[in-house]
Amino acid sequence: MKLLIVEDQPKTGHYLRQGLTEAGFNVELVADGTTGQQLALSGEYGLLILDVMLPGRDGWQILQAVRGAGLDVPVLFLTARDAVQDRVHGLELGADDYLVKPFAFSELLARVRSLLRRGSTAPQETSLQLADLRLDLIRRRVERNGQRLDLTAKEFALLEMLLRRQGEVLPKSLIASQVWDMNFDSDTNVIEVAIRRLRLKIDDDFPNKLIHTVRGMGYVLEERPA
Amino acid sequence: MPRLSLNSRLALLFAACTAVVSLIAGVLFSRASETHFIELDQQLLDGKLVALRSALQGADDPVLFAQRKARLQEEMSHQTDLSLRVRGADGHVWFDSTANLPDDLPTLTGLSSLHSAGTAYRVFNAPLEPGRTDGAQLTLALDITHHQHFLQRMQHLIWLTVGLSALATALLGAWAARSGLRPLRRMSDVAAGVCASSLTQRLPHTQMPAELAELAQAFNAMLGRLDDSFQRLSAFSADIAHELRTPLSNLLTHTQVTLTRPRDLEDYREALHSNLEELQWMAQLVNDMLYLAKADHGLLMPRREPLQLAQEADALLEFYAPLAEDAQVRLTRQGEATISGDRSMLRRALSNLLDNALRFTPPQGEVQVQIVDGAQGLHLSIANTGDGIPPALLPRLFDRFYRADPARREGSSEHAGLGLAITQSIIRAHGGTIRCESTQGWTRFVIELPKGD
Repeated sequence: MKLLIVEDQPKTGHYLRQGLTEAGFNVELVADGTTGQQLALSGEYGLLILDVMLPGRDGWQILQAVRGAGLDVPVLFLTARDAVQDRVHGLELGADDYLVKPFAFSELLARVRSLLRRGSTAPQETSLQLADLRLDLIRRRVERNGQRLDLTAKEFALLEMLLRRQGEVLPKSLIASQVWDMNFDSDTNVIEVAIRRLRLKIDDDFPNKLIHTVRGMGYVLEERPA
Repeated sequence: MPRLSLNSRLALLFAACTAVVSLIAGVLFSRASETHFIELDQQLLDGKLVALRSALQGADDPVLFAQRKARLQEEMSHQTDLSLRVRGADGHVWFDSTANLPDDLPTLTGLSSLHSAGTAYRVFNAPLEPGRTDGAQLTLALDITHHQHFLQRMQHLIWLTVGLSALATALLGAWAARSGLRPLRRMSDVAAGVCASSLTQRLPHTQMPAELAELAQAFNAMLGRLDDSFQRLSAFSADIAHELRTPLSNLLTHTQVTLTRPRDLEDYREALHSNLEELQWMAQLVNDMLYLAKADHGLLMPRREPLQLAQEADALLEFYAPLAEDAQVRLTRQGEATISGDRSMLRRALSNLLDNALRFTPPQGEVQVQIVDGAQGLHLSIANTGDGIPPALLPRLFDRFYRADPARREGSSEHAGLGLAITQSIIRAHGGTIRCESTQGWTRFVIELPKGD
């Protein structure tokens, strides 16, 4: 999947490219709005990441040109200014998402993956699985190694999210937003506690742990070699 | 059109008042003199009538009248301003004392006025024989042109007086207003001189006239509030610098120490992780401060959607349930109400309070959320059991960077002490108030919100 980043801050651009490339994306970075718009209009990118303030043409203008040309490629805005009218303006012009600087890279990565997934309609699954962990979506049951586990509704929702996005590092803020619908920066340690309780049920009795903490970034569900 | 100054307004108002008053006086005076002249003329004409009647007694037909005509002519020639016309019962003119008497003299009995060919007359009709209306008629015409001239002169004088007195009062009024408004100018001088460093300056309201003393007091109170907010803001900037100093110094030292000599990969990773934690804390601080700055500038515009408060509270209690269970604290909610507000903002506000309550509740304690749908508005309180907060500290709880627990000073990775300030900003943006009460065993944050539409 090819991504286009238009960002004039050299450091930000460089680290974004490095991070996204290492996450498995094919990334092109340009630093000015005019070139950015030309590339964006070529139609060969799966996602555009635009800074608002750019030399040449600003992010809004690029977005307008892209939508004007009839392209419905997802667009994620990065902005240093968190003004309500900016947000409204961006959404009116057809932006799909925005992130206010300073943001965490894990948050950006999670949003990029959400946007890319949005287009493709995933087949209706009836169960999710990782190693010997199985989650039955219809009967709402969880089993590990054939042993039935008893989860609360929220624990089930949390595990379902981790399983659907297995291998991705999920920041705490994203988990709070998706599982509990709490859409604000919160420095509470509720998520840590919730993850600990989930681990107690699905990992503690088994030698091969599936939920991993990525320090400073979030949590990931994956099978790691012992 | 530019707005008139208070000075000009007062001057014009004074001038208009004087003009109206002197105009009314002038009009009344000129009416009175006119009436007086009419009375004088009436007396004069009555006198003449008596003399003429006696002179013409019995001359009731044209023949008899003709005999007396010569004498009448002679008699009338002494009277320069009085003319006489005598008509028979059939309306024929028997006699005109002067040649140029207008033909259309009024014939109605009594006194009337007439203007003809530049001359003004007071005309008096009466029968020759008293009481006989079918006999010969006398018409006396008195030339009153000089009266009219006098009245006209007087009218001119009145207009002149009106104009001059209006002008004079305008000037006097302007002067009076100017000196009367001097205290106001003093206020504006003080106001013009107010800047950040002179917010302690106050107006001497005891020396002000009664009308202005209130304004001066209000002005002083405003200066007081400004001074207070300004102090808080200055303290806020100082606090920001202070708050950032600890993590920045950690970052600097740790990075420099790490780089002083080659190390294991694990050590580098550890250093980066540690830096990441400091950076995340700083990012959170900056985001929180930006949020507060937005609130300060009135840019926190809550959406207005109908919300079931009970539902929102329950969602939050569910969110905090794991934390509460761990801390062995009971979470409960009572009451319900609807409100129109911004869901994520209100959730953020309440979550700060719940987070706070949970942090300060001892094990086996309780946190209660209570919603009361009152007639005036609704009350939402979040109360927790525990030691309580000394009353002296209550007003400062919502200050930025304030931490009731001194042990939790700066650098603690959890809290920068902005949570309650943010909660207060959100509640205020919804038009509500928040306060904290602490009695034995219970600490209670009470939110009062106006009723939704």
